[in-house]
Amino acid sequence: MELFELAKYPFMKEAKEWVKNEKVSVEEILFDELYERARERGVRRVREAIEDGIVGEIPLVDEADCIMEIFSYPVARMIVISIENEYLLRRYALAEAKKAYLHMKIEPFEFIKKLSEEFGIEINGNEIHFLDYLKYAPTWDFKWKLVNRDLKNGYVKIEKNEIARLIQEAIRKKIYDELIYAFAPPEVKKVFKNEIMSIRSKFSFKNKEIKTGEISHQYFPPCIKNLINSAKAGLNIPHVGRFTLVTFLNSIGMDTEEILKIFSSSPDFNSEKTRYQIEHITGKISATIYSTPKCDTIRTWGLCYPDEFCKKVSHPLYYYRRRKK
Amino acid sequence: MNFLRKKFSSYYFHPKIEFPERFDRREYAFIFFNEDKMHRHISFPSTISLETYLKMNAPAHAYYSSAYYRNPSAGTMKEKEWMGADLIFDLDADHLPDVENLSYEETLEKVKLELKKLVSFLTEDFGFSKKDLKIYFSGSRGYHCHVINKKVLSLDSQERREIVDYVTATGINLNGVMKERSIYKEKFRDKTFEIYPMEGGWRGRIAREIIKFFHEIKSMEREEALSKLMEIEGIGRRTAEEIYNALTDERIKRIEYGKIDQTTGFKRIAKPLIKKIAVSLHSETDEPVTTDVKRLIRLPGSLHGKTGLRVTKLEIDEIENFSPLRDAVVFGEKEIKIKLVKPINTKMMENEFNLEKGETKVPEYLAVFLIARKMATL
Ligand code: SF4
Repeated sequence: MELFELAKYPFMKEAKEWVKNEKVSVEEILFDELYERARERGVRRVREAIEDGIVGEIPLVDEADCIMEIFSYPVARMIVISIENEYLLRRYALAEAKKAYLHMKIEPFEFIKKLSEEFGIEINGNEIHFLDYLKYAPTWDFKWKLVNRDLKNGYVKIEKNEIARLIQEAIRKKIYDELIYAFAPPEVKKVFKNEIMSIRSKFSFKNKEIKTGEISHQYFPPCIKNLINSAKAGLNIPHVGRFTLVTFLNSIGMDTEEILKIFSSSPDFNSEKTRYQIEHITGKISATIYSTPKCDTIRTWGLCYPDEFCKKVSHPLYYYRRRKK
Repeated sequence: MNFLRKKFSSYYFHPKIEFPERFDRREYAFIFFNEDKMHRHISFPSTISLETYLKMNAPAHAYYSSAYYRNPSAGTMKEKEWMGADLIFDLDADHLPDVENLSYEETLEKVKLELKKLVSFLTEDFGFSKKDLKIYFSGSRGYHCHVINKKVLSLDSQERREIVDYVTATGINLNGVMKERSIYKEKFRDKTFEIYPMEGGWRGRIAREIIKFFHEIKSMEREEALSKLMEIEGIGRRTAEEIYNALTDERIKRIEYGKIDQTTGFKRIAKPLIKKIAVSLHSETDEPVTTDVKRLIRLPGSLHGKTGLRVTKLEIDEIENFSPLRDAVVFGEKEIKIKLVKPINTKMMENEFNLEKGETKVPEYLAVFLIARKMATL
C-alpha cells in the first residue's frame, strides 16, 4: 500500500508495520514537537468520534500530511483507552470503521478484495461464503437477512458497496477487540489531561440525562412479557422478537445495561455483540431510531398472545401506556 | 423386571451406538423406565464407559448435548463453558399441521417431505456436501439432520437463526423476490412482474415454482384449474377465470422468461407457493432446536422408550425408501403373548397385522412396539 492508502486505513496490519519501522518511540510521539500535528489530529479523531459518531476527513496533500495522519491513529487509540469508558470505546471503534467505509465505497474492487483478505473474508468474484456473510452482515435489517439474498452453493451474491459494509463491521470489531485489552502508558493521561477530563465530564453528564423513569412491569402487554420470559429462560428469540423487545423497552425508557441484562441468560450470550445490536436499534450508534412495531406486524411474526385488554389497542406501547394510567 | 427394560437391556448388550464426535466433551442425559426425572450432567471419558452405562441401566431414553463443553458434567451452563455446537435440525410431526388423523406411517411420510426440502436447501443453497449431512430417524415421529461441517460449530444462535429463517422463509421480502414494473403503453399504464428463475436463493426458487404452477394450471381441465386457483386465499371465481383465460401458450412462454403481465391476484399465488417450498421446522410460536446451542438430542443407536425403535442413521439416498417399521426395528421374531387395548392395523417388518382387541400372540418386535406405545400390555 502507498502512504496515502495507509493514511486512510491506519488500523491495517501494513500501517502498523510501517509505524513500527519508523522506529519512533512513544515518548517522541507524545512529547516531540515534530508530532504536534499528529497529536492534534489524534485528539480530533476522538472528539469527532464521540460527538459526531464518525471520524471526519482532513485533506491529505503531501507525504507529510499522510505521515501525521498515520501517527494520529495510535495517538487517538491511546486517548480513548485512557478515558476508560466502555461505551466511548465502542463508539470510537464504530466511528473509525464508518470513516473507512466512506473511503472503501470509492475504492476499486481489487482494493476492496485485498482489504477483505486481512479479515479472513474470502471474496470470489461477486460472491462471499455465507458463513463470512453471517459473521458481519447487519441481519437485523430485512434487506440483509439471508433469506432475502441470492444464495447458491454456499455463496451469497454481493455488490461492492455491500462488501465494504461487511468490512466496516469487521474493522469495527477488530478495533474494538484490540482496544478492550490494551493499556496506554500513564503519560498519556498527563499529556492529554484536559482533553480526557473534558470528554469524561461531558459524557457522564450525558449519561445522567437518560433518565430511566418508573417502569411498571406488570403492565407490559402479553407479547412483551412472553419475550422477556423466553429471554430470561435462556431460550433463543427470533430476530424479529429481539427487535420488538428492544424497541419496546427502549421506548419506555430502559437503558442499554438493563436491556442487556434481560438477554444475558443465553448460553452463547455475547455481551459485546448484543450491546452493539441494542445500540444500533435504539439509535445510539446509528442514524435511525427504529420504532416499536404495531400489533398487526407482531401478529404476522407469530409473537402475539393477546389478552382481553389487547382488544382495545393496536400497538403494544398503547397497551402499556393505557394500563399504566 | 419390567418387560421393556428387559428387552432394552438385551439390546444394550450388543448395541450399535454411533458415538458423537468430540465424545468426551458432551453432556449425556438419561431417563429410566418408571421414572420421569432426567439424569443430567453426565459425561464419559471413553466410549466403553458409555456402553457399560447403557448395559447396566438400560435407560428408556438416552441423549447427548449438541454442544460440547470444557466441563460437560458441570451443573451450570457457566461452569460447563460452552465451546461450540453442532448444527441440528429437528423435523418432527408435532410441528406439522393437520397430522392428527393420519396413521403413524402416513405421518412419517409427511415429515419425510420436509426432510427432503431441508436437504435440498442445505446442499443446493448452503452448499454443504452430502458427506456433511447426517440424517437420523428419531425413533419416534421425526428425523434429525445434523450438519457436521467444522465451520458451523462456532456459529452463535443468531447466525443459526438466520439459517433457520432461510429454510423456513421467515422474514422473506416478497417485493425483493418479484419486482413490480410499470410499463407505459400509449395512454395507460400497465403493471408487470418480473421473476428470476435463473437466480439462486429464494428468488430463483419461487420463480421456478411459479412457472411450474402455471404449467400445472394450464395442463388442467378448466374446472379443475379454477378450483385449484380458488384454493388460494383471496382468489375468487372471477379472478381465477381471468387468470385461466389469459394463459395462452404465448403467455406461458413469457412467464418462462420471467415476465408476468397479469397482476391480478398474482401476489396471492406466490404466498402459498412459498409455504409449499419452505420447511416446516417448528410451529409459529415455539423455538426450533437449531438455534438453541445447548439442546439435548437422542443418541444415535439408542432405543426410544416410547416406541422401542432405534435412532437409526440413514443415507441421503435412502430417505425415499426408508421405512422406520422395518429399518429401525431391532427385536426378533419370537412369539409373545400380549393383550391389545384396541384393534390394530399396521405393517411391520413387511408383515401386515390386523389384530382384534384382546389377547393374541405376536412377534417380539411388534410386542415391544405396541407395549412401548401403550397400545398393549403383557
Ligand atoms: S395484541 Fe398487540 S399488545 Fe396484545 S399481545 Fe398482541 S401484539 Fe402484543
